[in-house]
Amino acid sequence: MKKLLYVAVGLLSMASLASCVSKNNDETFTPTLDKEMRCDIKVVGDYSNFEALEAEFDLFNEYYPNVRLTYQKVDNYNNSLGTVLESNDKPNIFCSSPSMMGNEKYSNIISHMEDLSDPALKFNFDCLRSGLINKDGSGKVYMVPIFSRTYGMLVNNDLFKKENINVPEKWSDLLSACTSFASKSYNPIMGYTKDKKPSSGLMNVIAYPQFVAELAKNPDALAKANNLDPSAGEYMRNSLTLVKNLVDGGAINVSKCDEIGDNYEKVLLRFFEGDVPMMVCNGDTVSGAKKREAKSEAYQANPFNYSFYPIPVTDKGGYFIDSPSLEFSVNKDCENLDMTNEFMRFLLRTKELQNMASLKGLIPSTKSTSFDAVYAPFGKVPSDRTISPEVIGVKDQLATQIRLAAYKVGKGELSIDEAVKQYGSLE
Amino acid sequence: MKKRIWVVIVNILIMLAVLSFVVVYSNLEAKKSTETQIAHFENMTITMEHVTENYLEGEQRVCDVWAHYINSEELTIEEAIDFIRISHVLPTASAHIVYLDTLTGLSTRSKTSDFSVSYKAYDFLNDLSWIHEIGTSINICRSYTNPINGEQSIAFCNYVTLHESGEAKQAILLRVLPISELMEKWVFPQEEFEHAELSIIDADGDYIIKGYSFKNTSFFEFYRSYNQIDASKANEFFKNITSSSGSFKMLNSSKTECIVAHTPFGEAGDWTLLSLMPTKYLNASTQNWLLIGIVSSCLLTLFLFDLIVMIYFNKQLRITAKEAESASKAKTDFLSTMSHDIRTPMNAIIGLTTISEKNIDDKKIVSENLRKISLASNHLLTLINDILDISKVESGKLNLVPQTFSIVETVENLMNLSQPMIKEKNIDFSFHINRMEKEYLHADQLRLNQIYINLLSNAIKYTEPGGKVSVDMKEEESNKEGYVKLTYIVSDTGIGMSPEFMAHLYQSFSRQTDSRVNSIQGTGLGLAITKQMVDLMQGTIECQSEQGKGTTFTVVLDIPVAEHQRAEMKLDELEVLIVDDDEILLETAKDTLESLGLVVAQAGSGLEALGMIKHREETGKNYDIVILDLKMPDMDGVETIRRIREEISTNVPILLISAYSWSDVEEQAKEAGVNGFLSKPLFRSTLYDKISEVLGKETESTELENDYSDLEGLNILVAEDNEINWEIISTLLSMYGITTERAENGRITVEKIKEAKDGQYTLVFMDIQMPEMNGLDATRAIRKLDNKWAANVPIIAMTADAFAENVAECLNAGMNGHIAKPIDIKLVMKEIRRIKEKSK
Repeated sequence: MKKLLYVAVGLLSMASLASCVSKNNDETFTPTLDKEMRCDIKVVGDYSNFEALEAEFDLFNEYYPNVRLTYQKVDNYNNSLGTVLESNDKPNIFCSSPSMMGNEKYSNIISHMEDLSDPALKFNFDCLRSGLINKDGSGKVYMVPIFSRTYGMLVNNDLFKKENINVPEKWSDLLSACTSFASKSYNPIMGYTKDKKPSSGLMNVIAYPQFVAELAKNPDALAKANNLDPSAGEYMRNSLTLVKNLVDGGAINVSKCDEIGDNYEKVLLRFFEGDVPMMVCNGDTVSGAKKREAKSEAYQANPFNYSFYPIPVTDKGGYFIDSPSLEFSVNKDCENLDMTNEFMRFLLRTKELQNMASLKGLIPSTKSTSFDAVYAPFGKVPSDRTISPEVIGVKDQLATQIRLAAYKVGKGELSIDEAVKQYGSLE
Repeated sequence: MKKRIWVVIVNILIMLAVLSFVVVYSNLEAKKSTETQIAHFENMTITMEHVTENYLEGEQRVCDVWAHYINSEELTIEEAIDFIRISHVLPTASAHIVYLDTLTGLSTRSKTSDFSVSYKAYDFLNDLSWIHEIGTSINICRSYTNPINGEQSIAFCNYVTLHESGEAKQAILLRVLPISELMEKWVFPQEEFEHAELSIIDADGDYIIKGYSFKNTSFFEFYRSYNQIDASKANEFFKNITSSSGSFKMLNSSKTECIVAHTPFGEAGDWTLLSLMPTKYLNASTQNWLLIGIVSSCLLTLFLFDLIVMIYFNKQLRITAKEAESASKAKTDFLSTMSHDIRTPMNAIIGLTTISEKNIDDKKIVSENLRKISLASNHLLTLINDILDISKVESGKLNLVPQTFSIVETVENLMNLSQPMIKEKNIDFSFHINRMEKEYLHADQLRLNQIYINLLSNAIKYTEPGGKVSVDMKEEESNKEGYVKLTYIVSDTGIGMSPEFMAHLYQSFSRQTDSRVNSIQGTGLGLAITKQMVDLMQGTIECQSEQGKGTTFTVVLDIPVAEHQRAEMKLDELEVLIVDDDEILLETAKDTLESLGLVVAQAGSGLEALGMIKHREETGKNYDIVILDLKMPDMDGVETIRRIREEISTNVPILLISAYSWSDVEEQAKEAGVNGFLSKPLFRSTLYDKISEVLGKETESTELENDYSDLEGLNILVAEDNEINWEIISTLLSMYGITTERAENGRITVEKIKEAKDGQYTLVFMDIQMPEMNGLDATRAIRKLDNKWAANVPIIAMTADAFAENVAECLNAGMNGHIAKPIDIKLVMKEIRRIKEKSK
């Protein structure tokens, strides 16, 4: 039964990916409103800058030249968004995440969200991978995925070549490669370890895919894990063992990793120093890589080829965790709601979403997906190793527990057994 | 074609050169204008910096006052907040006070009853080095989300010391203003800069306050995202932006070129005010583009106009060239093929000369042939004149020279000229006349001849051997008084003409071509000249033709009747038998003979005539005269005569008539017993004269114009350097009893006149081209002589210079007339008479 479910989930995910090949020109945008209309559309989010979206503003202006679209970063986003939505300067569109759904803390925000599945709005989600679309119990869609993120490691391909080591495709290869690099005084695997909060932290990125994969095989276990049932902690053991082994085996030097100041720019700049064979992070971090190339003097002096690989945590390889990175919701109480929906209709098309993903350096949320060079290794992950946490029903609190457990085990604050026992109560 | 392409290329190059100049000039002007505007824009940015700084300083001062008060009064946080609430003026402004250690505190405003505020998650309060002592600077943070109301705001800050339970605690006072407050003041006063937007950045390029068109969180990042910049130069470039005033250009997110003016901002100078505006709003180049557009349009219009004119002229030139080529070809053909119009009379002259040579002892034949040669020569001369004067024909300047002439002679001439060809091609030829009562007419005989001969010779020429050609000539009453309407119809069974050819039938040098007549030569001038002649004579010419069947030309002319006509021709009431198989001829001849007073009997064949004569013989009432056609079926004219003479013992005079030359049958006819010959057509006068001759009756000559006896005894001085010409003129004049003296050149002529007694010479015939002194100079010299008679002696040019301009030249030199060589003695005599009569 578990095996059947696992296969079904994998097939469903890959079907949504594979079927994306043919429906590229699915939508041509036809303006439905007065093209001379003058109004303001404001999008708010957590990104400091959002050039990919601003590029779409310019494209939208070709149809509606008098619509003034702005993107505004909101400080302390998750905490401020509710206030911002209630302010005198209400945004039309705001960034959201699946974790908001069902969370009482965000109920105020959810109440501002427009039901995008309303047939009257004529939104077409056909171009989106169904595994990324989050629906509530009544089938309403309050947010649409814009980008997808996954977990993996940035690999310095040139360094592997230089040291005559093959990029690992399975767990044993990974250990072997780490040993080889360690013997040559490299820190084989690095990542952000300073803070336990970010999901892109080193330990979580290694542990989370394996944990989710195990739960995907066992709906009962998944239900328990979602309910923070301590007995579900046992399903973390294999994931935590991976972390433990890598730390204990010398593949991860935690103290060296602690020197990395933040989980984004500093991670990338450290990677661009050129002496890190594998930098563990998530897709959000990878999205900033291109820009940071210019900021890294070391990289400018000695540029190298790099790719983002799934971490090969099993002897069959790694997992592709296909999870929304960014979602958009429409503020149903905003001014110019018609034009706001018009912009969303414009945006929710394969062409525009892929354009944005390309500029942002993330995986698009569209069915038709062509991985760029950096993400190319994820294109080779077989369907049975592709998992959409939102599809199988992974909840935020589950993700928090594995993140904290992996962090504490990796840092040596807890043993694997202790962490397993404390599942559901880790803080 | 190549030349045309070159002309087009050169035109285009000139257009491009002019346009390039205009564009370069316009660009220079636009550049100057833009530079001026950019400088203006920079100045305005500096002005906006002052405005902004004043505004921010004002707001900062409020914050400073509050901070001073809070510090001086040792207030708790609640007291401080209450104080500020009371002090608030702006409804949109608020104040937050947060403790330095917790970054939490209170707000003056809240939508709920909870006034607590937290800045823990705000990075700009992590490092407070930008907040200086109260009153020393503008302590303003970057724009951020107001945690109380969610609006994008800026905050003016100061350190304050609060007192809680007697303990002093450091806190930060934030005077919070929504960004919109500042944005409202950031409006350029000039309309030309309405599209400009402002931002304030810090030394790292991060926006403190961000305008709409500014992207990213850092201006430097914004620049890098859409503009290429060398990494090694980037730092220097960005440092320059934040440390000095000036401007630069960049592309914005929509790849539009923008001008960005920058000026340091604030007392510390670590901020920079940026103003950004798309360059298109700065460039005052609209007029330049208008200029370029107008110049381009004008050049293009000029070019197209030239092109159209050129194409038009080229087309005209091509047409002209084609016409010239066609004319040239036609004239070349004309020269190479020779004129059939010339060959026709030449044929007559040569043929008749040969006949005369063979019959040199027969004075009558020789005399007759010489007469015909004379007629043909005259025609030939006319033709030569025509060819020489073809330009006159084509320009319609041909003038008619009317004179009294005999239509009988004209027709006779026509017959003589055409006989050789008729005989040669064995053409079945007939010539009918009808009621030709007026023999002497007054018109240009030569031109009339030309018309008739052209049409007849064409008919013969374009009719195959054995074919039929007929001529009908009739005289009718004209609508004009003193005129007769002469209709001349020539029909043939020749090749006919196509409708296409008939469309340009009367054009010069055009001939119908046909494989059956491809050997026919001609100038192609015949019909053109004919048409011109007919038009000149105010007549009509019509043509009906069907290819392969034949052609009929009809010429109708109203011709004045000459004053002098023959005296009434009446013969005794004699009985005449006329014999011909041609019923029309029989009918017309009967009319003519009856008009002469004769009683006419008709017979349609030789046998019938023989029977009729026999019958008369038997009854004792012989015909007084028998007129027989030469060519008749069954029994021809000669055979009929022979049988009449053999079978009937009668001496009735018999005349033989024929439309053909009877020279070949003359001997046989005489042997058979003919008494005389008559040529068709049978004119009244011809019949009268011949019948009278046969019957031995005297006839009255009416040719008054041939009587020049009144001119006998005149003495004429002939200036002629050519011996033969002198001999001809002197001999011809001597025939009329006129004596002549010769002067070999102009000088001698002048001397002879000078030395002559008054009236010694009636006139002078003056050649023009002579040695020592030409005829024109000699005339001028004579006209200047003192002797009145000598100075006014009549002088007639006698020269081969026959063009109209030559005639005018002679008259201008003082001459009294002009005679062209070769001379027509009749014309010479007429001219002498004219001079003589004038001198009376």
